[in-house]
Amino acid sequence: MHAPAADPAAPAREPWRRRLVGSLLYGSNVDRVAKTRARILLAVLIFALGYAVIATRLVMFATAPEGHGSRRAIAQDAVATARPDILDRNGEILATDVRTPSLFGEPHRIIDVDEASELLTAVMPEIDAAELRGRLGSKRRFVWLKREITSQQREQIHRLGIPGIGFLPENKRVYPNGAEVSHLIGHVNIDNQGTAGIEKWLDARGLADLHLAGLATDRLQKPVELAVDLRVQHALHDELIAARAKFKAIAAAGLLTDVRTGEVVAMVSVPDYDPNNPREALDPTRINRLTTGVFEMGSTFKALTVAMALDSGKITLKSAFDASHPLQYGKFTIHDFHAQNRVLTVPEIFTYSSNIGTARMALSLGIEHHKWFLRKMGQLERLRTELPESAEPLVPKRWAELNTVTIAFGHGLSVAPLQAVAAIGALMNGGRLIPPTFLKRSEADALAHATQVVKPETSEKMRYLMRLNVEKGTATKADVKGYYVGGKTGTSDKVIGGRYSKTKVLTSFTAVLPADQPRYLLLIMLDEPQATPDTHGFTTSGWNAVPVGGAVIGRIAPLLGLEPRFDLPPSDKLILASAGGR
Amino acid sequence: MMRVLNICLIGALVLAAADVYTIKFESARQAQHVAKLRLEIRRERDAVAALRAEWAKLDNPARIQALTRRHLQLRAADARQIDPLDNLPERPPDRVPVEEADPIGTVIVNPELLDHSPTGSVHGPTR
Repeated sequence: MHAPAADPAAPAREPWRRRLVGSLLYGSNVDRVAKTRARILLAVLIFALGYAVIATRLVMFATAPEGHGSRRAIAQDAVATARPDILDRNGEILATDVRTPSLFGEPHRIIDVDEASELLTAVMPEIDAAELRGRLGSKRRFVWLKREITSQQREQIHRLGIPGIGFLPENKRVYPNGAEVSHLIGHVNIDNQGTAGIEKWLDARGLADLHLAGLATDRLQKPVELAVDLRVQHALHDELIAARAKFKAIAAAGLLTDVRTGEVVAMVSVPDYDPNNPREALDPTRINRLTTGVFEMGSTFKALTVAMALDSGKITLKSAFDASHPLQYGKFTIHDFHAQNRVLTVPEIFTYSSNIGTARMALSLGIEHHKWFLRKMGQLERLRTELPESAEPLVPKRWAELNTVTIAFGHGLSVAPLQAVAAIGALMNGGRLIPPTFLKRSEADALAHATQVVKPETSEKMRYLMRLNVEKGTATKADVKGYYVGGKTGTSDKVIGGRYSKTKVLTSFTAVLPADQPRYLLLIMLDEPQATPDTHGFTTSGWNAVPVGGAVIGRIAPLLGLEPRFDLPPSDKLILASAGGR
Repeated sequence: MMRVLNICLIGALVLAAADVYTIKFESARQAQHVAKLRLEIRRERDAVAALRAEWAKLDNPARIQALTRRHLQLRAADARQIDPLDNLPERPPDRVPVEEADPIGTVIVNPELLDHSPTGSVHGPTR
């Protein structure tokens, strides 16, 4: 017993009783110290894990926002989201958001449905009581009761103190200019989603995705700047409404584009609608005739035919075509309205607006060339712009010689007026076809989008012809002194029941200003204008669309910053001479 | 020795806890303030938007035109009323010497000094 005591490190010092208990419990050859350590470690680990869980939860509670967000989350989904402002080119507001309260209910929180609906109908008599009761009694978690209430109503309902009824500020789209810019910017539905025009384009451009992600609830979005000038738009709108009333026309439309950038500076199609009351837009007579309608543009198309002829190099300004007899084609006979019954030169064909002459001109170049040229000018395919509404041109399925004959003077091919304006713009601006845009665009940017379709010399000759037509052709009534206007008139017989009507016409006037340094192209269109005492019974373009165009030019030119110049020489001296006597 | 160290540590812990609490409290207060300011900014912005919308409505060209027609005798500007600065004639020589102390009085005394040349639009109608 004493021998082991000589080793001081041995655990033999423990009292014998403990050793006995230990050997009974664990067995004699187990290292109890190591085992104890392992167990303590295990216990430490378990506790550490527990505390770690508590700590993470604490951090989560501390960082996460207010917990009772469930109710707000439901409501927020339904709130009409914010849209960017739409401005005109000078920064005037065309469309903006205003916050208005909307009333909602949470049926599961409402204690007495009958009492609640009675109190609410007392404040808002216009609301349908039965429907209100039905909504409040439904099983849903969230119901709208009334969108866009006034602030007084909000105050009164707040005072009633009904549980389960609440308000949410919503963004309401407001169009301060009413009908003036309706077709351009379109409108939105009650949930502030664009359903037409630029508003719809905004949604297609990614705003809808932002809405879904719930990110577009605040008004911190960059405003959209359009190319339209509100002052010019108003002037055009005002003049067209007056013209429509004066000539008792079904419709009137006007379009002003910048020929150097392709921007649409003004676009009006009356009758139009108030975007604050989008229901009016459903009326089919109120469509935008400039993009959604297709029309036979009549003599306006002769500009394209003459440009094609001059650009081919085979025909010059001195070429002459026989217009002495009506052109017989199968059972059709082509007449001239201002018949001269003699051989006409190219400028004469243009200023007398000779159907026979232009038809012969197109025939001399052939069907394929004609088709190729019109395709190049973008007249045979649908024109796509920012506006979602667009119309496909009506192109004849079989293109025979007769089609070339009629299309040469603007019958038998229906295009959207905006499309025709883009092509004529290319004939004016030095031969560059620029896709039209409703957004602000710089000249450099426009050049990047442009394609050269005709030679610059052809463009110069076309401007000479346009100016000549105002000096001594069909468009003399649009010669606004000081702005050197050039223009082409167009009168096309409307197709009524599959036949060309003798009395119902669509008149148009396309003007370039100034003709020597083109900046703007104006199109005026009147649908079925009636004769008035002033027009001596005539309904051709020169008596209605042209004077309207002149009035519009006189009004908008100062707004556009065009400097009036007087005592300019006639077109053959000014435009043709600068072209080097060609 | 160990005991002194422990007491020191406990003291430091309490102090640290107190400090963290005050920081937390302060930050919560600041966050509340920020939220309040945000709400105010938002309200102001909404008010600005509403006022701008109203201004745009009042500034609408059609409305201005209607008011002008009713209350003023203004006419639309004509191209003849616009002229570039280059066409401005040279300034005529001063009829009254510049150094004159009382130019108006001089003109009243000598009526032949008055300028009778007409002004107005280039080829405009005479009223």
